[in-house]
Amino acid sequence: MSSLVKQLFQTVTLAAATLLLGTTPARAQSASLGSSTSPLYREVTDETGRSVRIPQPVRRIVSLAPSLTETIYALGLQDRLVGDTEFCDYPPDAQKKTKVGGAINPSLEQIAALHPDLVLVTKGLNRLETVHALDNLGVASYATDPHTVNDIIASSKRLADLFGVPEAGASVAAEMEHQLAALQQRLSSSPVKRALFVVWHQPLISVGKRTFIADALRYAGAVSIVEAEQDWPQVSLEEAARLQPDYLVFAASHSEASPPGLEALATLPGWNIMEAVTNRRYAVISDAVNRPAPRIVSAIEELARQLHPDAFVEKSEKLSEKSAKEKMEKEKTEKDKTEKTPPPPIQQSHSAFSLLSSGLRGSETVPGGRTCAR
Amino acid sequence: MRPLTLRRLLLQCFALLVILFVVVVIAIKFGAVPVSLYALGRDLWNVLLHQRTNISSDYVLIIQNIRLPRILLGIMVGASLSVAGTSFQALLRNPLADPYVLGVSSGAGLGAILALIVEPHLTLSPVFAALLTPLGAFLGAAATVTVVYLLGRREGQIDSTTLLLGGVITASFISAIIMFLMSTLTGNLRGLSFWLMGDLSTPLQKSVYWFLGIGFLVASGAIYTTASDLNLLLAGEKEAMHLGVDVPRVRLVVYIAASLLTGLAVSVSGAVGYVGLIVPHVMRLIFGSDHRTLLPTAAIGGAIAVVFADTLARTVVAPNELAVGAVTAVVGAPLFIYLLRRRLA
Amino acid sequence: MSPGSSHARHLAEAGRLANEIRLSVEQVSYAYSANPAQAPLFTLEATSFQARPGEIVAILGPNASGKSTLLKLIAGALAPLSGRILLNGFVTHSLTPRTRAQRIAVVQQESRLLFPARAWEFVLQGRHAHGRSLRFESEDDILIAKNALAQVGAADLSDRWMDQISGGEKQRVILARALAQQPLLLLLDEPTLHLDIAAQIGLLDALRRLAAANRYTVVVVTHELNLAAEYADQVVLMQRGRCLRVGPPISIYQRELLEQVFQTPLTVELGSSGRPRVTVLAGTSGT
Repeated sequence: MSSLVKQLFQTVTLAAATLLLGTTPARAQSASLGSSTSPLYREVTDETGRSVRIPQPVRRIVSLAPSLTETIYALGLQDRLVGDTEFCDYPPDAQKKTKVGGAINPSLEQIAALHPDLVLVTKGLNRLETVHALDNLGVASYATDPHTVNDIIASSKRLADLFGVPEAGASVAAEMEHQLAALQQRLSSSPVKRALFVVWHQPLISVGKRTFIADALRYAGAVSIVEAEQDWPQVSLEEAARLQPDYLVFAASHSEASPPGLEALATLPGWNIMEAVTNRRYAVISDAVNRPAPRIVSAIEELARQLHPDAFVEKSEKLSEKSAKEKMEKEKTEKDKTEKTPPPPIQQSHSAFSLLSSGLRGSETVPGGRTCAR
Repeated sequence: MRPLTLRRLLLQCFALLVILFVVVVIAIKFGAVPVSLYALGRDLWNVLLHQRTNISSDYVLIIQNIRLPRILLGIMVGASLSVAGTSFQALLRNPLADPYVLGVSSGAGLGAILALIVEPHLTLSPVFAALLTPLGAFLGAAATVTVVYLLGRREGQIDSTTLLLGGVITASFISAIIMFLMSTLTGNLRGLSFWLMGDLSTPLQKSVYWFLGIGFLVASGAIYTTASDLNLLLAGEKEAMHLGVDVPRVRLVVYIAASLLTGLAVSVSGAVGYVGLIVPHVMRLIFGSDHRTLLPTAAIGGAIAVVFADTLARTVVAPNELAVGAVTAVVGAPLFIYLLRRRLA
Repeated sequence: MSPGSSHARHLAEAGRLANEIRLSVEQVSYAYSANPAQAPLFTLEATSFQARPGEIVAILGPNASGKSTLLKLIAGALAPLSGRILLNGFVTHSLTPRTRAQRIAVVQQESRLLFPARAWEFVLQGRHAHGRSLRFESEDDILIAKNALAQVGAADLSDRWMDQISGGEKQRVILARALAQQPLLLLLDEPTLHLDIAAQIGLLDALRRLAAANRYTVVVVTHELNLAAEYADQVVLMQRGRCLRVGPPISIYQRELLEQVFQTPLTVELGSSGRPRVTVLAGTSGT
């Protein structure tokens, strides 16, 4: 070979060697990741059956789902939350945390740079690949997988245990159970209403019987009429007509849930088959119903009020002052809705945002699997 | 008359390697987390000197464990897809052929879905759990390649037209099955959409990288030995035979090797589109249609394209990440139209 | 093995057997059926002839007489049902495509390239069969290719793009590619089909000249009576899969025989060159 070729060969080899030297993907030491220097670990099994080694104590948490962020705040652990997703907007303070991206496509680099002790994920929203990627980096991740309201309560308690604050967990659980029990009592004599929870209207997508949303409806004195195994079944209008729900339930994140949108529903072809549409029997509740977090109880109560208004007529003296105040606030927001005042700006941008993103990233309400294979 | 010489080939490859190096440096530098080139240089120097204690932990985490593996994966996927695309275009005598036209990506997708369906029912160590999807995808691809081969034969040998038809039909059929499964399955298949678009964000075991690298070298090497034959094949199959090409043997070797390349790439990264279709055409425009040049330059060109696209995917909407296949589609489609018009002009 | 030495070997072979038989077609038959269960659609009955170096053989006959099939058998593209074809003692069909291409060159009527190529690239393809499979062309190869272009009078077309030259020019480049193979046997299937009269004469003149200079054996399939008469040393007359006669034009070109084969009234006269000339009598053909 000529000398020129030899030189080229040497340069290429050197460049390749440099690149390769830096590339051996070694397992990072767990110690260099966490902020704690003590090597204490705890072996737990998360809600998907995975066995996870969590460093103790857990001082730095990254949450990859809005519901998990809310739960952390509810447990009073917000100071330990170092990062969350773009969609984590409740409570408002959560928006000030460092963002690591979307729930489905977070930036691994960003997560790693935050040096978390634990990353929280939930099976219904986050991808398995993200969990595998975190494993590969030596970052512990814990997954929740609630399918019922009781699951949500249990999840919160378990998370509290994990973080070393079992009392906070117990108190959150107790609060939720208390509110639900009170609600049950109110609704004890009301007939169960048949409801169709509308995740999306075109095509018509509802919730499956194994979702926590379907379970939540039960606590509000309703039953989801869709008997499907899938989490986000597509329901044909004929099927909806055959089932004839008493009410259509919408979550406020859905753009069609705002008053002009609801009116437009009646004009969509085929929707008039449902009596609930012709009689405008709609219930609109807050986005909290889409998140398996403690706040879902307020959404349940909101729904109960709309479905069974007669059960809430008398103000009982048994109610504590606090819940009375809450009730008044809720009635006020209901009145606001009927008076057609625009919702607070934050919520509005949120619903517009989720409308835009639902096709690609999606909040927890958007079903996966509508892109075509190549 | 300027026939190809080894010297000219090496020079062309070197020029492309320089561009690849620059793109890799850019990819290392840019990302959701800012990295300064000075700090990078200092850390790399420490690595070379084996002074591992002086390296910042951020370097280890971000560069070594996340970015570099991803870049390496991008290089291998890009090179594999481009070589496969070039080969299929020659094998099928069709400039519109890409690595997926014979159904390899659909088969891999189906394999991946089946792996996702099966996964909750198996108890696996974390190592195997992460490998299950790529393994399922690879098996799906291999099965599809076999079926299409059996369909694409005529009188016992591969026939270009029959192969193309068989492959397209199989691809459609499998895609239909995939759509059916995705609409009826109960589990969380959200991740699959990402995979179907082509996604480099899942880091893999070290052994997988070795597997990919060796597979790439073996398959590309096999194809490269037929480079002169491919030049003649493009002149016509009968002509090639009369000029001394063992057409059935060449077809078989190229089919298996190119399918292997595609299967490997798709198993680890999903179906990254447009790379296998466009990079060969661009390289042809620059370097000509001689496969002895085209194959290596397409490989390097593909590596450049995917690493660059992945860098965009990581940075354009940071801290969100796009799927790399989305970027290649957005860039690739207009580029393809441009190439098409140029050809007609 | 450098191309120079293999060429020398060919010359030695050719020289040794200078006036001996180079191509021997021995009782070759063929049958083609689309469906194995049904009767064959087409058959070629046992055919024999021989050719020497420097000879031009014309396989002559009307359409569907089996001419192209016979050529394909000689080229080794098809395997005969019975009989064999020997080239310098080797059975052509049993050779590998590579060794076959070193000895037999097939000149196509036209060439449709998928991607653009220059004429010299095209001609260099003829060198593929010589030397190792994966290699870069050597000085010898380049010289041989240049030489081939010069021999067909297309040296000035060397840098032109194949899709930008005329039909006649393309035909010459295709012939040059065949010459670059340094074959013993040159096969052409209806080469004059798309050419105008001047180009037809030019091609056949070139073939005669090359056959004499390089000692090729040329086999041309044609239905052009007068061209065959003028240029062929031997004519193989075929009709409906049967070989009727083999011999020099003088002996083959009998009026009754030709009229029966070509189903047209005609007259045969002796031309000024000493070869027969056929005149078709138009307007009086039956039916």
